Amino acid sequence: MSLAGAITRQFPFGLRWLGASFWRLEHAFERARASGRVEDDARIRIFAVMLCFGVCFCALAMGAAQAALFASPARSGGAGWTPPQARADIVDRQGRLLAADLLHYGVYIDPSEVWDIKATRQALAQALPGVTAARIDRALSGGRRTFLAGGMTPVQKAALHRLGLPGVTFEPEQKRIYPLNRTASHLIGFADTGGEGLAGAELALNEDVRALAGGSAVVPLSIDLRVQGALEDELRKAAQTYGPKGAVGIVAHVHTGEILGMASYPDFDPNLASTASADARLNRAASSVFEMGSTFKAFTVAIGLDAGVATMASTFDARTPYQLGYRTINDYHASRKVLTLVEVFQHSSNIGTARLAVGVGPERLSRYFDALGLTTAAKVELKESASPLTPKVWNEDAVASTSFGHGMNVSPLALTRAMLPLLNGGKLVPLTIRRQEPGFRPESKRVLSETTSAQMLQIMRANVTGGSGGKADAPGLSVGGKTGTGEKYDPAIRRYNGKRQVSSFAAVFPTDGPLENDRYFVLILLDEPHGTPETFGYSTGGWVAAPATGNVIARIAPFLGVSRHVGPMADQPRLASAPSAIEEAL
Amino acid sequence: MSVINRRIRGFRLVDLIALGLLVLLIMSVYLAKTIASRERAEIASVERQIAAERAQIRLLQAEVAHLEQPSRIERLSTTYLQMGPVAVAQETTPETLASLAAPEARR
Repeated sequence: MSLAGAITRQFPFGLRWLGASFWRLEHAFERARASGRVEDDARIRIFAVMLCFGVCFCALAMGAAQAALFASPARSGGAGWTPPQARADIVDRQGRLLAADLLHYGVYIDPSEVWDIKATRQALAQALPGVTAARIDRALSGGRRTFLAGGMTPVQKAALHRLGLPGVTFEPEQKRIYPLNRTASHLIGFADTGGEGLAGAELALNEDVRALAGGSAVVPLSIDLRVQGALEDELRKAAQTYGPKGAVGIVAHVHTGEILGMASYPDFDPNLASTASADARLNRAASSVFEMGSTFKAFTVAIGLDAGVATMASTFDARTPYQLGYRTINDYHASRKVLTLVEVFQHSSNIGTARLAVGVGPERLSRYFDALGLTTAAKVELKESASPLTPKVWNEDAVASTSFGHGMNVSPLALTRAMLPLLNGGKLVPLTIRRQEPGFRPESKRVLSETTSAQMLQIMRANVTGGSGGKADAPGLSVGGKTGTGEKYDPAIRRYNGKRQVSSFAAVFPTDGPLENDRYFVLILLDEPHGTPETFGYSTGGWVAAPATGNVIARIAPFLGVSRHVGPMADQPRLASAPSAIEEAL
Repeated sequence: MSVINRRIRGFRLVDLIALGLLVLLIMSVYLAKTIASRERAEIASVERQIAAERAQIRLLQAEVAHLEQPSRIERLSTTYLQMGPVAVAQETTPETLASLAAPEARR
């Protein structure tokens, strides 16, 4: 088989033409030699070489023209250049700015260009009060251009520039700024100077924030700044009144799992994160775990209803303390009577709840707790989400304790996530700090029946209209909820300390209307609050957390589009009358 | 005589054409580069202005966000305007406005 034949069969037309041209040129030399025209041979060779060079120069010329005319600004360091540490803006659900990269300037000194060292030292010391005299001296006496200070605002830079100091130059740099200072500080978090998120949404959504840097795209969070503002304000007022070690506030949409507001007290300024104490930086909503106390009774009652162990009309004997193994379970304020399920909830009866939990049984109760996500860290983007402390063995003792919120520590976010199925028709949804589109419904898992959820809304409303949650009621709104007061374990006395409590109120509004309606969960928690004369010295959830919850709900309802009615509401469930003893048992 | 070997005043025509093309090429490249660099400088200047304006806008946006932080607005509105959260009695819907106005009309 000839080479030409092989080329014809195996290669496309273009390559065949190139090959044929080459062979024709090569044979031209032989033809010229054969015909005795040696000069033609040399000319053709020179022509061939020139052609090659010509092609190369054309390619170079085209490349140069392209580089000259169409060079990308990014490669030339022009206006479109994005610094490597750049991060996209973070905004709230309505586009209000929460975090942004802003142009700042770094100051550099080149000693070889400084005319008057003494005058320059004096001027710099006055213009840059944050820079030590020793550092200025070191920069001025060095042998090369040195960085002196960074993070200068354009105004500061202009003021220093106006001094006209030779040898003092500026270079632009990006700095992460949190314009709202302390507002939503734990949720927004903060980033380091290298552009990496270190806490909060800055850490949780780090990849998105980095990927969208330089463009006009922003990263919207689920929070509503108006809701956040009202939540923080009421939490701060409660904290100032009752002087707790810490406090937490959470507002979430029960169907989408969006966190509309999240506050942790004490707070900090993320612009000065490095100077804030670890206690202030601690996000108590996500990172701290607490024995929640009676708010857990909502789970026990829901599980009892869902498992068919109890109905709304079931009764429980709370006349005498309940003896379970070596333990005697008492009520905080004994009612000494037989209670219906709703009254157990309204009186926050430990005896009734423990009897119900024993009826459910350890295996079934632990399975429900697993399904509600109470035995794992809350599913949310925040990396701070803490794992719970759960009983090692699910026996009757553990069942009795956990049924009223003892012997199990969960984070406020985990409590929030587990509460949502009780209020949204029985679906476990993940919490999220990302804004979702209107009408969004996340992938969910059914953990309770719709009937149970509807009954829980009624029971929780009944607890506010005629139970321990009365102080959380907001005028014109159907608020439901459950108080919680968990005593803290004190290592010093090696038992629970009645004077150190975690007081909380878990609320939902509006409780009326179809299950699929927009509905919101609110949690207020105070860690070791102190009673006041106004609360008659009590520091329980009903006295210290419920009023703050009611205030938050009254303020945020208009922002969330929940209408308030002045007159009596038609379809509010009123399941039981309010016993007078309830006021004491708040 | 072929076109390649034709001579004008001792110079081969093909060489003269190549020289002419070369001068033309040099001139056109020079002009293209000069015009392009002038335009690039202009574009860069406009881009710098845009970047400066954008930086200024961002600075102002951050300033607005800082001034509009909820706690500050609340403090100012409470202190200077004696305002507070809207009470339920102060809230109504467009549909009920007429019934609210009716007693006033009767008076």
